[in-house]
Amino acid sequence: MPRGLWTTTVGSFPKPPSLEKARNQHARGELSAEALEALEREETIRLLRRQEEIGLDILVDGELYRGDMTTYFAELMPGFAISNPVRSYGNRYYRKPIAVGPIRRKKPLTVDWWKFAQAQTSKPVKGMLTGPYTMMDWSFNEYYPSREAMAMDLAEAIREEALALQEAGAKYIQIDEPAVSVRPEELPLAVRALGRAVEGLKAKTITHVCYGDFDVIYPALLDLPVDMIDLELANSRYDLLDRFRAQPFTKEIGYGVLDVHSHRVESKDEVKQGILRGLQVLKPEQMYVDPDCGLKTRTMDEAFAKLEVMVAAVREVREEQGITV
Amino acid sequence: MKIETTLAGSYPKLPTQPGEINVRVVRNRRDQGKATDQEVSDAIRETTRRVIGIQERAGIDIPVDGQAAWDDAQTYFARGLGGVQIAGLIRYLDTNTYYRQPEIVGPVSWMKPVTVDDFRAAQGMAQRPLKALLPGPYSLYRFSKDLHYKKPEEALQALGEALAREAGALEEAGARWIHFEEPWLGRARGEESANVRTALEPLFKGRKARTVVHVPFASPTAVFDAIRDLGWSAIGLDLTEAPAAWDLLPRVPAGRTVALGLVNARNTRLEDAEDVARSVARARAAAPGLEFQLSPSASLEYLPADKAELKVSRLVEAAQLASRNGG
Repeated sequence: MPRGLWTTTVGSFPKPPSLEKARNQHARGELSAEALEALEREETIRLLRRQEEIGLDILVDGELYRGDMTTYFAELMPGFAISNPVRSYGNRYYRKPIAVGPIRRKKPLTVDWWKFAQAQTSKPVKGMLTGPYTMMDWSFNEYYPSREAMAMDLAEAIREEALALQEAGAKYIQIDEPAVSVRPEELPLAVRALGRAVEGLKAKTITHVCYGDFDVIYPALLDLPVDMIDLELANSRYDLLDRFRAQPFTKEIGYGVLDVHSHRVESKDEVKQGILRGLQVLKPEQMYVDPDCGLKTRTMDEAFAKLEVMVAAVREVREEQGITV
Repeated sequence: MKIETTLAGSYPKLPTQPGEINVRVVRNRRDQGKATDQEVSDAIRETTRRVIGIQERAGIDIPVDGQAAWDDAQTYFARGLGGVQIAGLIRYLDTNTYYRQPEIVGPVSWMKPVTVDDFRAAQGMAQRPLKALLPGPYSLYRFSKDLHYKKPEEALQALGEALAREAGALEEAGARWIHFEEPWLGRARGEESANVRTALEPLFKGRKARTVVHVPFASPTAVFDAIRDLGWSAIGLDLTEAPAAWDLLPRVPAGRTVALGLVNARNTRLEDAEDVARSVARARAAAPGLEFQLSPSASLEYLPADKAELKVSRLVEAAQLASRNGG
């Protein structure tokens, strides 16, 4: 009987309103760092429980203690300054890293949080990092002479963190590279930088790539030196599968079946059909079913309603197709 | 010869000085039910006034209104068209910013002016003629999802004609410069040439205002032949992130203007004015028959407001140097 169709998520979850409020209070100096962290831990435990309750196979800590996926790391690494707010869309803003000196990892960035999360559950919890290419591409650079020099310094720093996560016991280490899909000409640099970041790792390595110009980057995308590439399938109405028919997808795949940009909760049948379409061109043991991307832009209710549908759809497909976990 | 200065698209909306109206805060308060739509409109108007003031104090020759009411570079216009609806957020090229994707669900039609009232209001706040800002039709198509037309060229032509109508309305409202934002021209492949031409051709017919086709992020090398002889007055090139665009300068028809994007709108590192002036001299040497403007490489909204303001000042300083050096 084949195994496969494990369920997981891409990483981020929405912050509960109480935590958003606390973060704002902390930013205004009205709440201590200790009080904020206590709330973050409390909410992280609650989030892990909910993931267990709905039956996900591989959990995440939800990144409730992080703001932006690059700024969180930049704030902890010498060599980075943080800009004033830059707009990302409409009325949404974020503070962007600025490379102002040599970037180094001087202390653990995520290991303590990973240990805390893993201690709450018997299910595996993924270690979650942002990749060197994306860190470089989504930062301003006032120091490095080239994009390559900055990406490779970041690769060293992220590798140290990945090795520390492995040392702590992480069986899955995800190093997200959402930026690699939009500059096809720099894919070789992304491959080289990510290759350095995962060098020597025995844990299962994963990278998440957002939807981009797949006409250009596929199948070269398969050069990314990780065990699993996590992709958005639902957002593109599963048209990537046509490419996989022409050029087989040779790695494990994080198979995105939930559109994270939509408030609408998918129907179970819709998700099931998406998985069944995948099984026409992929083996079940290749497939880890998850949302298209991080869920942080949804409400908590939307996020879990979507995930419950996903898990139910996977269970039905497993039963019908005789696939075990 | 004087090198004129201009900006290329939207401008940061947040204030840099305490006490100035912060449209972000007002919008958040409105979303929480603590402020009215009128207060948001007032904050947008004051933001526009501030952005124009920053440019005028710095000495920008052809200022822009900064698109204070726009959520991204095309939704504001696209939602005013017939046959278009606005869908979910997706990433805007490689910028780590987002836009709401327009979906073409029926025949595209221009129903009434979308940006003219804003333009008139902004012009009323300005001492100098403003450059009106619009998305370009080819990029608007590429950013959209076409669920209606059978052939891309039908959609491209419809979008081109709709934008031409809007440009005409802006012209009637007094716009002397009209900017079409075309980031996708830098990503279009050669086989897209006919489609690019189909989209852009209607923009310039009978146009009295001067027009600029601005291509940030990448060089429009692959499709340049398709647009070379169209009736635009100026082309904006990103010479910071797209060095290949330097090779286009000798191919620009004589008498046209090139807006030299020599101040990087996507990096906080401040350029040296002498270096920028030297680059202007290099452009003059490469294409002696052209006129030149100096601009940022792209919208300054990729920068935080404090850095954008520094870049505006540096742009003017560099243009003054280049003008002196140019004799």
